[in-house]
Amino acid sequence: MIKEIITYPTPPSVEYSTDVRVFNEELFSLIEDLKDTISVNSLEGLVAFQIGNHFNVVVVKKEDGSFFELINPRIITKKGNIVGIEKTAYFGGLSAEVKRYDKISIVYQDRDSHQHSLKAEGAFSVLLQRKIDYTFGANFLNKLSSKEKARFEKSLEFGSDIAISETCPTTFKRDYLVKLANSLIIVIAILFFVSLFVDDKTYLSEMWKYQLYTSFGALGVNIVYFFYAQYEGKEFATCSSCQIGNIIGTTVISLVKLTLLMTLSYFLVNPL
Amino acid sequence: MARLIVLGGGVSGHTAATFAAKWLGSAHEVVVVTPNAKWNWIPSNIWVGVGQMSKEEVTFDLAPVYAKAGITYKQAKAVSLNPAGNESSDKPFVTIEFTEEGRAGESENIEYDYVINATGPKLNFGATPGLGLGDKLGEYTVSVCTPDHATHAADELKKCIKKMKAGERQKFLIGTGHGLCTCQGAAFEYIFNIEHELKKAGVRDMADLKWISNESFLGDFGVGGLHMKSMGFAVSSKIFAESLFTERNVDWIIGAHVNKVEAGKVHYELLDGDMGEEEFDFSMLIPPFAGVGLKAYGKDSADITDTIFAPNGFLKVDANYGAGAYENWKASDWPQTYQNPTYANMFACGIAFAPPHPISKPMKSPNGTPIGPTPPRTGMPSGIIGKTVAHSICDRILKGEDAPLHEASMAHMGAACVASAGKGLFNGTAAAMTIYPVVPDFDKYPGTGRDTEYTFGEIGLAGHWIKHILHHLFMHKAQLRVGWTLIPE
Repeated sequence: MIKEIITYPTPPSVEYSTDVRVFNEELFSLIEDLKDTISVNSLEGLVAFQIGNHFNVVVVKKEDGSFFELINPRIITKKGNIVGIEKTAYFGGLSAEVKRYDKISIVYQDRDSHQHSLKAEGAFSVLLQRKIDYTFGANFLNKLSSKEKARFEKSLEFGSDIAISETCPTTFKRDYLVKLANSLIIVIAILFFVSLFVDDKTYLSEMWKYQLYTSFGALGVNIVYFFYAQYEGKEFATCSSCQIGNIIGTTVISLVKLTLLMTLSYFLVNPL
Repeated sequence: MARLIVLGGGVSGHTAATFAAKWLGSAHEVVVVTPNAKWNWIPSNIWVGVGQMSKEEVTFDLAPVYAKAGITYKQAKAVSLNPAGNESSDKPFVTIEFTEEGRAGESENIEYDYVINATGPKLNFGATPGLGLGDKLGEYTVSVCTPDHATHAADELKKCIKKMKAGERQKFLIGTGHGLCTCQGAAFEYIFNIEHELKKAGVRDMADLKWISNESFLGDFGVGGLHMKSMGFAVSSKIFAESLFTERNVDWIIGAHVNKVEAGKVHYELLDGDMGEEEFDFSMLIPPFAGVGLKAYGKDSADITDTIFAPNGFLKVDANYGAGAYENWKASDWPQTYQNPTYANMFACGIAFAPPHPISKPMKSPNGTPIGPTPPRTGMPSGIIGKTVAHSICDRILKGEDAPLHEASMAHMGAACVASAGKGLFNGTAAAMTIYPVVPDFDKYPGTGRDTEYTFGEIGLAGHWIKHILHHLFMHKAQLRVGWTLIPE
């Protein structure tokens, strides 16, 4: 019976990794379902998980068109490495560069529960590794280098295999301007706080002046931030328009803080 | 006055004896027969083996603790059991042979009302030619099974580090020394602690680390692997272990039965039938376990060892030993009360009870050699079983022969395991894992046989802190210091 192939984002773990213990009609029927599904979808192979069954069963199609059944397979030895581009039905049409072992030996059981061993190399070795990964609840994501994984995850997000060379950064140079504006506001706040305990009008007058000049500085930094931030955002084509909202919001928050502080200072501290 | 004899003073036996003494009070007698003068918190031997703890930090003298608890302590090894007495008496007794200085070799028969076999395993180094002779470690490899072995291992490790500092590359081979070993977790901890120490010593780039084990996949750990749920994701222990090995540049050989050890070389057979050799400069291989070789005699002095003990030398308990093939295995095969089916006053706990079958999938090479982990019965389960058995016996002594027995099946029991992967207050790491149940119940939890809600794992510094805290907690508990009964097994 042809079955629906489970695809991302249905998780391939938890329920889908257990050895076959009883070799009966249920198992044979599962194997036939795998074969039917492979044929209809013109695939190289399938694992029981991919059609929603939790047994460790793999069926791959051989070059002559016949099927190779592996039950409870284990990779025992490994030798050498090869890197290739892989696709899997689980991730639709997406591909990734994966590092695999060149030569492997495996042990597995046939449908009569007899144990066999097998040596494989090259493409067949890679195909077996890909499928056996699934029997332990993994997929090729676990095998990717961190760089390739980041690229692939981006592909997953956009549903396309086209390489995305650039991403919208999460940190910008403009953040330094925000820090500077905040630092100046903190200085004003400290001056305001200290002024509350000073009686001498000369000192108060001096302190008010410093607060005023610092507030002009903070205002200037906010203006520079507002325009520079927009310029910087346009350098990254992948940054969405949501950043404009962030820039306006950040500027408004900073100016409100500054205005509140200076208003308080004007009425409570200003000796003039 | 009833007398309970506990054979063995390891984690399980010590737990059973101390709780029994507390519950029975001075009206009854608890006797501990153990060949060792010191108690050992075995999990911390890993840190002794890399020179991060001393032998003294992981052991303490048993005599003063037992004196405080009112337990009669015999530093001796049990030789045989006469569960129906002998021709002159119907009273069952144990024959022991003293090991303490001044009385070594002296024998004594001690009568009992109840006996707990908690002898632990015989470290069967002799099962692999070259690994050792009988229970004695050989000259080619090291071990971390006892504090003395671990101290020796640390000395050998130091020599290797010295050589690497002098520019000599070293090969490390760590794992299991036979196709039917258990305790893969201890070897796992040791290889990563070595890796950590080599890094600290600045010689990691001069070392080739390789793992060798009888598991059919990395991360089997003798429990058929597990799925670790963490932060909303479930990761197979195979993926977890392979990632860790790859990340720390440790290569592996799996599905291996080490069949011979020579100076600087092991020979092995693989599950796929291939034979191989691996050279080493430093190797720690865990030996297989066997029963300690206790004999049993009937009233007429006939040898009834086969009636009481399984062929591997462990005590038969209320398990289903006739489960047969893998497809027939059930959670209910596992013992619940640990009572011997022939003699109702005889119990076992810890490694000393005969498991009905492995937990991991049984596998053989094409040559017919069985290669696969035997089931672990150490750590948390052994403590829980020891306490449960003590509870049952105390109830029978205090409430009468018909008192129901307490149960602690490993198929209904969860376990927590904290596997150290490097010791250090700020840069240490450990994998903390919980598993429920220890023995998969495929009827109750179709698929993996385990409840994934309670099976999870995480690796990091916090795990190391937990491991370190556990060391102090269990040393505190075993010495019966204030609040010891409040610390769980």
